[in-house]
Amino acid sequence: MVDITLNQNSKLGSIDRPNSYIGRSLTRDGAIRHLEGGGKFVDDLILPRMVNSAFLRSPYAHAEIKSINISDAQKYPGVIDIFLSEHIDTVCKPWIGVLSHLGEMRSPEQSPLAKKIARWQGEAIAIVIANTRAQAEDAIEAIEVDWVEKEPQINMETALDKDTVVIHKELGNNLFWTRTVEQGDVKKAFKESSTIVEATLDFARHTGVTLETRGIVADWDKSEKKMSIYHNGQAPHMMQHIIAKHFDISEGLVRVISKDVGGSFGIKVHVYGDEMAAIAASKILGRPVKFVADRLESFTTDIHARCHKISGKLGVDKNGKFLSMEINDLSGIGPYSMYPRTSAIETNQVLNLSGSPYIIPNYKAVGTVVFQNKTPMCQYRAVGHPIAVAITEVLVDKAAKKIGMKVEDIRKINFIPDDQYPNKTPSGVPLEDLSHQATMNKLLKIMNVPDLEKQKKLDLEKGILTGIGIISMCEVTNPSPLFYGVGGAHISSQDGASIRLEGSGAVHVSSSITEQGQGTEAIMKQIAADQLGVSMDTIRLTLGDTDATPYGGGTWASRGAGIGGEAVLKAARTLKNNILKIASAIMQTDIDTIDIANNSVIRKNGGEGISLKKLAETVYYRGHEIPQGTNPELIATSSFYIEGIPFVFTNSAMGCQVTVDQDTGLIKINKFWVIEDCGTQINPKLVEEQIRGGVIQGIGGALYEECVYDDQGNMQNATMADYLVPMACEMPDIIVDHVITNSGRSILGAKGAGEAGTGGAPAVIMNAINDALSSMNKEVTSQPITPEKILKAIGKI
Amino acid sequence: MGKGGEEFIMKSPDFCYYEALSIEDAIKFKSNDLESVILAGGQSLVPALNMRLSSPSCLIDISKIKELKNITKDNDFIYIGSAVTHSEVMQNKIIIDHLPVLIDVLDMVAHPAIRNKGTHGGSIAYGDPAAELPAFAVAANAEIILMGLNGIRTIQASDFYHGLFETDIQNDEILTSIKYPILKDNQKILFDEIYRRHGDYAMAGVVANIEILNNEINNLKLVFFATGTKPEVALKTSELIIKDGYDYSNVKNMIKTELDFESDLNSNAEMKLHLATILTNKILKLMET
Amino acid sequence: MQGSKNITINFIINDEIFNNITVPVRQHLGDFLRSIGLTGTHIGCEQGACGACTVELDGKAVRSCLILSSQINGSVIKTVEGLDDTLMKKVKEIFLKHNALQCGFCSSGMLITTKEILNKKKKLNREQIRTEISGNYCRCTGYQSIVDAIEEAIEDNIKDI
Repeated sequence: MVDITLNQNSKLGSIDRPNSYIGRSLTRDGAIRHLEGGGKFVDDLILPRMVNSAFLRSPYAHAEIKSINISDAQKYPGVIDIFLSEHIDTVCKPWIGVLSHLGEMRSPEQSPLAKKIARWQGEAIAIVIANTRAQAEDAIEAIEVDWVEKEPQINMETALDKDTVVIHKELGNNLFWTRTVEQGDVKKAFKESSTIVEATLDFARHTGVTLETRGIVADWDKSEKKMSIYHNGQAPHMMQHIIAKHFDISEGLVRVISKDVGGSFGIKVHVYGDEMAAIAASKILGRPVKFVADRLESFTTDIHARCHKISGKLGVDKNGKFLSMEINDLSGIGPYSMYPRTSAIETNQVLNLSGSPYIIPNYKAVGTVVFQNKTPMCQYRAVGHPIAVAITEVLVDKAAKKIGMKVEDIRKINFIPDDQYPNKTPSGVPLEDLSHQATMNKLLKIMNVPDLEKQKKLDLEKGILTGIGIISMCEVTNPSPLFYGVGGAHISSQDGASIRLEGSGAVHVSSSITEQGQGTEAIMKQIAADQLGVSMDTIRLTLGDTDATPYGGGTWASRGAGIGGEAVLKAARTLKNNILKIASAIMQTDIDTIDIANNSVIRKNGGEGISLKKLAETVYYRGHEIPQGTNPELIATSSFYIEGIPFVFTNSAMGCQVTVDQDTGLIKINKFWVIEDCGTQINPKLVEEQIRGGVIQGIGGALYEECVYDDQGNMQNATMADYLVPMACEMPDIIVDHVITNSGRSILGAKGAGEAGTGGAPAVIMNAINDALSSMNKEVTSQPITPEKILKAIGKI
Repeated sequence: MGKGGEEFIMKSPDFCYYEALSIEDAIKFKSNDLESVILAGGQSLVPALNMRLSSPSCLIDISKIKELKNITKDNDFIYIGSAVTHSEVMQNKIIIDHLPVLIDVLDMVAHPAIRNKGTHGGSIAYGDPAAELPAFAVAANAEIILMGLNGIRTIQASDFYHGLFETDIQNDEILTSIKYPILKDNQKILFDEIYRRHGDYAMAGVVANIEILNNEINNLKLVFFATGTKPEVALKTSELIIKDGYDYSNVKNMIKTELDFESDLNSNAEMKLHLATILTNKILKLMET
Repeated sequence: MQGSKNITINFIINDEIFNNITVPVRQHLGDFLRSIGLTGTHIGCEQGACGACTVELDGKAVRSCLILSSQINGSVIKTVEGLDDTLMKKVKEIFLKHNALQCGFCSSGMLITTKEILNKKKKLNREQIRTEISGNYCRCTGYQSIVDAIEEAIEDNIKDI
């Protein structure tokens, strides 16, 4: 762990000045509330006249609803009402999950509840409103549905075949979206390649498994015509806009409050039909309605992720230089594209990101996204990265081994050199401020590869299969308006911050970024206190309330620090300037002679200053003492978005050492290293914890997690006992270190750090396992890499 | 006409609760209400209730009946009361001194917080094919003591398990204790299992009861679990090993002829057969140490 | 002889005595605790697999989702809200220091589990700590910081022995 970062960013001032907090691993003091049992989660909320809800959900992946009889159920104890699609649709307008800037996307209208046809197992059909959740569930058992089962479309590989069931007749086939990216002349370059390697990789569906399930309390106040929403989401302003639009409420009369959120990871940034139905029920009933998903509902209705089959080809010359890369990715997204982000983005990231650390002059990528009768798939932590990084890094390893180069050497000669930015990914996406060479060099040094190789040899002599893997990767963070906004989605790429000095001398900060445990509260306080020159304990913070914070995108795509943090920095600097102007008037001195430090305006030459408390009291209560014409604003609000490029990229290098048990197929991760370059680190400890948590989620996808379906589209393991999330026993300690290249797109210089671990771990683990299996000339290509797959690969079963 | 959506339910159905005052009291209640079920620790029953996989009329709580909470020993046997929790078993002096392998076995049963409430009798009576204790009881030649309207009866653990979650407990009966023979000096029980995450049900497991005579295996009883519908004794495999020792192919072929393997989410039948074979070898290696 | 669907019972939660409280027998303890405002106990899976709802019942860590309210008659319960002795105050400080939590949803269960670990007054290595908390799911941290914290808490707790 780093206590203080190597100072990092000259634009922020020296690290040894008073109130220098940026770059320090300060404790997240606000987190104490969770240790006291005082967190404020959605399910903790009880409002007067609040009622609970539960959903009748489709037990079939594909079925026609001939009729629904709710009359018996309505008589059950505690039942307030039961609503079907026809009722909900009277207050809620349908939506369509498409964007306009990435070519044609085709997804049908979707309503909160299924109408005539249920298209995945778990799709909501009816909402039962009752006094308690148990009573609502009792009544669900009494709803009679006349189902006619339809043949489900499960397999993505046959989705576009002529004889396959078409899920949405009006679309004619099961294609949602396809895109081809081409740079250079791939065909010619492959012809000129002296060596070509190929790989086909499978990635199973997995899901986010936030420990706190999705939840909402909707409170329609008829008297004020105001909708208050308590929601464990990531983007309050986006929800505000969407609720206003679909429920026909003036946007100013929708308030969305997102306080403590028990993990989100992208799962909670989408619009879900059941949540919309709960809002509709509140609007119809005129009283607060709570919906909190249970774990079974979470597994079958939270968005799933991945579900890709990708083949790739890499052509190299005799020196190991990459000449050409081609990938073809197929992905299945369930029956609808999610709203408002669409379910195209994961594939789009795969097309954009494959090959991204390297110079590959000729590149072609084809993505095809199809519908299935399974839970909808959409953006989850490290969207697309695990697939893009794995196909790239697996091919790179193969090429190295085929031409007899060391895996680190082939990377080194193909990296975009650290001194040649700005540059572009092979797909043509702009890159800047990256450091693949420096991060890889640092990784190799701390891993001590020669020692690991020696150990591997000794192990092999004893019949133990040990493997070493390395990878490099780019991580998409801090998206600009060119990501969603350009495609017509009302998803803000801007974030705002407001800072005010209060009469007590306290500083109040509000930001449009929300807290889900990453440490948003801590870093915003650090930035504000650092830039203003006040102690940490003077700062109070409001997040997650559309009535109380500036407008902004919220927390996703690792944008909180880089975009939201920059807004806080700018607001703090403006407020500081305002304060200094007032102080210079009061103190009758030139503004250049004063500064703020330790909660006071000080004279740089050491004379008597004025405390911020006193200054604020003067402004608020005794304005007559201040020379006339002085601007009395002790509040400043700023906004920030990334300009000129689609994303700010972060880069990482990762390594790991694994042991494969030849008898049982079990894999043990012995060591795991990450070198991350996320630019300025506001709180290094929190950066490291983002990386560690991300790596563990990546290990989950690589080795354990899978939504297992039978051939009828029933999820077989929708419980916490059967779906294998990573638990403490099997997980390694992770060594994290840094290279720091500040982003030139902001003063703060921070990039994101939340996704690299999840994006890179699957690739590095696959490389390490295949390194271990290389002595037997075997490989695995399908994730999760289960013991069964290992034993099959090595011919034991 | 079908009902829909049962599988998305997580709150228990409505049932009533009865705290039994004595074994007799519980038997009487149970025989009067055939839809009622016994609640001991509830660590398997309550999840099933929460998911409405079970809808009993009434739960008969036997966890407070004193006679069911004892661990005793006489010259030849150890008796573990059915309502003794796993944690209590693990900390019991009699078990520590005379059946320590049971502690190693219980260490693999779920997690500490589950073991603090889950009971010995509950796990034996539930008969989960992937659970450790039923196999342990079979391997240890334990007898299951049941009490019903007609009094007490005893049944060999190996006869107690009929099939998937099916046991020999009759409607009017309650499992009161498990009787474990004390191991002879030349006898030991060894245990191993293969799992993906600690505390999960195993992909396959084995409990072996071994008697050594003149440094040779004189008697061997291999019992596999998490392989089929109930703990199964591999008699012929045991004999093969006494005769010929371990050979992967021979042992695998023999296990295949005498056990029925059932695939589950984490391992298919073929995998389980392989793991059962590997486990046999692991047990023999353990024996040598 | 007959069972009932509601039951009137007595118990103590966090040193507060509750007498003659009527609860529906089908409600699990986790839901009951939350219904009386002790919302620090979180419900994660309702099948005993995630550990979020872990509370202390008569001195032992248990899953509150796997215990019916009807079973707590005469019991003494401690929830995260009641962890205010010197030992647990120190443990909370150590958790903060190591950032052994992110979203906080698993924290109450982790703390109760930690309390049970500390009750043993035994030094454990990192692997053993990982085994002890293997029934508590945390999606955010990746566990390392939690292991760091528990390791320090154990050291701190046994240093005077």
